[in-house]
Amino acid sequence: MSVLTFERKQDGELWSEAELHTLLASLDAALGSEDGRGWETGMTEKGDPQFYLLGSLPDQACQLCVSRIGGRYILEDGAGRLLFEHSSLPLVALHAKAAVSSRRWSVVARIVLLWCTVRHTLHDKVEPLLFESEEIFVHLAPKFAAFA
Amino acid sequence: MKRAKDQEVSGGKLRPTVVPEARQQRKEAGDWLKQRRADAGLSQVALAERLGMKYYTFISQVENGFSRVPTEAMEAWAVQLGLEPSEFAKHLLVYYEPELYRLLFGKKK
Repeated sequence: MSVLTFERKQDGELWSEAELHTLLASLDAALGSEDGRGWETGMTEKGDPQFYLLGSLPDQACQLCVSRIGGRYILEDGAGRLLFEHSSLPLVALHAKAAVSSRRWSVVARIVLLWCTVRHTLHDKVEPLLFESEEIFVHLAPKFAAFA
Repeated sequence: MKRAKDQEVSGGKLRPTVVPEARQQRKEAGDWLKQRRADAGLSQVALAERLGMKYYTFISQVENGFSRVPTEAMEAWAVQLGLEPSEFAKHLLVYYEPELYRLLFGKKK
């Protein structure tokens, strides 16, 4: 298995305020609890940014980690299990939120996530194909009509 | 807004002013692992590749002191770093479970 690496953009190595806001807005409920949870950011050796959601005191171990590599966001848990990856940070943040949500809400969260993922996939993959087919149809329809 | 070059940002309304001991020790373990990786002549990407990981980000997570090397992965890490697995695990125990280390081996390293 080969590790996926990407060419980094010249000025793309740091978290932007908007990216941090997206992550913190999604994890607000987890961070607001009274058990000393917090978050930190850091960097990989190659300069790719990482966001760590820390667990409760006294251990404050990493619960979730979001990394950005070449415009793709990687969501892992504290044991290094890959939970989700996508180019859309809001979608990754939604998965992060679901991962730290209570069990009671997990079914609802999973349904919402499934819906969002299907929508993104449709938007990214299917819509261009439909658009392309439509263009071909518009282009060929007059020719078929001429034969008919 | 862009963060400073080394971007060590932290947050959380309830973040304690003192870094908990467990976190400090994980960081020391991370520094030790980083040095062992450098001794083995491996980059984070190369080590992740050898460990069969899709991304190398977990290596950084561990070296930055936010996570531990999972127990079930210790042998593989040791082998790839050219270290004796039992010694590797024993050394990490000093940082990860100092009290357990003291009980097992009778002293703090």
